[in-house]
Amino acid sequence: MDQFTFTSKQRLFTFGLMALGIICGLIVFFGDTYHHHPRFWTNFLQNSVFFTGIAFVSLYLLAAHTLAYSGWHTVIKRVIEAMSLFLPVGAIFFLILWVGIQGHWHHLYHWAAEGVTDRASANYDAVLAGKEPLLNTLNYLLLTVGLILAWSFFAWKSRKISLEEDKGTSGLKTYQKAKFWLAIFLPVGAFSSAFFIWLSTMSVDAHWYSTMFAWYTTASWLVSAVCIMVLLVMYLNNKGYLPEINQTHRHDLGKYIFAFSIFWTYLWFDQFMLIWYANVGEETIYFKHRMGYFPILFWINLGINFVLPFLVLMRNSTKWKIGSLGFVATAVLFGHWWDFFMMVKPGIWDALHAGASIAEKKAMPIEMGWHIPGLEDIGMGLGFLGLFLFVVLTFLSKAPLIAKHDPYIEESIHHHS
Amino acid sequence: MKEEKGVLFGLYNDETELMSAISMANDKHLDIMDVYTPFPVHGLDDVMDLEESRLHIVGFIFGALGMMTALGYMSWIFTRDWPTIFGGKPYFSFPAFVPITFELTVLFSSIGMVSIFYIICGLGPGVENPILDNRITDDKFCLAFDTDGMDQAGVDNLKSFFANSGAAEVHAKTI
Repeated sequence: MDQFTFTSKQRLFTFGLMALGIICGLIVFFGDTYHHHPRFWTNFLQNSVFFTGIAFVSLYLLAAHTLAYSGWHTVIKRVIEAMSLFLPVGAIFFLILWVGIQGHWHHLYHWAAEGVTDRASANYDAVLAGKEPLLNTLNYLLLTVGLILAWSFFAWKSRKISLEEDKGTSGLKTYQKAKFWLAIFLPVGAFSSAFFIWLSTMSVDAHWYSTMFAWYTTASWLVSAVCIMVLLVMYLNNKGYLPEINQTHRHDLGKYIFAFSIFWTYLWFDQFMLIWYANVGEETIYFKHRMGYFPILFWINLGINFVLPFLVLMRNSTKWKIGSLGFVATAVLFGHWWDFFMMVKPGIWDALHAGASIAEKKAMPIEMGWHIPGLEDIGMGLGFLGLFLFVVLTFLSKAPLIAKHDPYIEESIHHHS
Repeated sequence: MKEEKGVLFGLYNDETELMSAISMANDKHLDIMDVYTPFPVHGLDDVMDLEESRLHIVGFIFGALGMMTALGYMSWIFTRDWPTIFGGKPYFSFPAFVPITFELTVLFSSIGMVSIFYIICGLGPGVENPILDNRITDDKFCLAFDTDGMDQAGVDNLKSFFANSGAAEVHAKTI
């Protein structure tokens, strides 16, 4: 089977996930005990960053593979392409968040609050006034929505060239054309993603900054994107598509999960240790909050995302076997969703309890949706996943699964190690 | 001193001939001593039915040893032998130990794997290894049989096998 058909049953399943997400979203929105529905908006932000990032990193992996003359990935090229085409949807999410800032629907970003840059105001904040050239609403629009649209352009371009390739007889010309555009995207995407991360995620803790943060977040996206690739490819295999995928392809994807999980841990630890060692108050506060008030989030994060893939995927055979690789991919995908949960929630929670002392905050009971993800929060995540799958499978059904004129397709099919 | 033994080997001109010769030898239940190729040939280990290398277990053991050495030694120094305060941190400041632990893990496992590999292969300074033919590092593919304790009929059988499987040359050598 060379052409994927998006059956009505699969469509119904993704719609079901989306409906679940909407119901959970409504429950969270109206059940919120705080003003301005912070639980809903933090979930919205977390999932938007997570899935937009996965789409971005898919395009990035495609560019890196193409420029590195890689051959093995060609059989799953169409899957990676379809994943990258989720980017424009991410732009819509961030447009909603930007309108929310303007309309005071949410107070996710302290730098956007009334009067923080105004010396005469009671809300004046000298640190945030100093950061005003970067952290302002115009930059937010440009560096989130604008950047995603710019990346979408490259995703669209590479897809267009890839479809052109199917029509011709030889793929060499289109391959070089794709290489040209992806070579431009590689540095552009690498540098600009840092701005996107600073504005969307890091500025939730508006006073805090870390130069490792952009790397760390990108590593999180990388692992999650590879996990989704693994699960999608397994699903397609299971349905009889892509019979060209062999044990070696799975092994390579498994190696990616293993290696990028360790890379993620390396960055996580670097960020932690430098801040811990330097002991500068305005930096340590980030970890002080997370370790002190959110220990469950903090330690489980490390357990799922480092210990589990490290120990399970260390052997070759566990990377080959569908059961063990699928289990790790699912767990680690959830783990990185959890990681983004931990990036977003504590900063907002702390602002909501600004009046409380440290001892009081430590003594507070565990709150669902803040200290650990509640069922509704996971439901919202599944809703976003449903939308993501809907978009990806739709684009997957629009083109043949195998790019048969790609110069590397033979090498990829006979990939063997 | 190493014991001498007789070897009968055939040289093939390319790897596809070699591969089919190995399958043929397997069908005839001939006991292959070893195969020598100028470059790694894909699928050779499957056809020869080789076991997966156990070198990575050595890597794991040495890595664990390096980790324990680093952690144990640093913990002993900074809590028992010479407790020192750095930047107001506790004596046993685990995060500060992690980078060095990591480095020693990598160092031990790499040095351990290389040494064990050399020992298994019988390599090392001053060791002389017998070479069947100089061209097997250039453009010939060699399939070798141990002929020690084999009667004339067995050797003739091997020779006819080489002739049937398309060997370009057949030689006997004592190593």
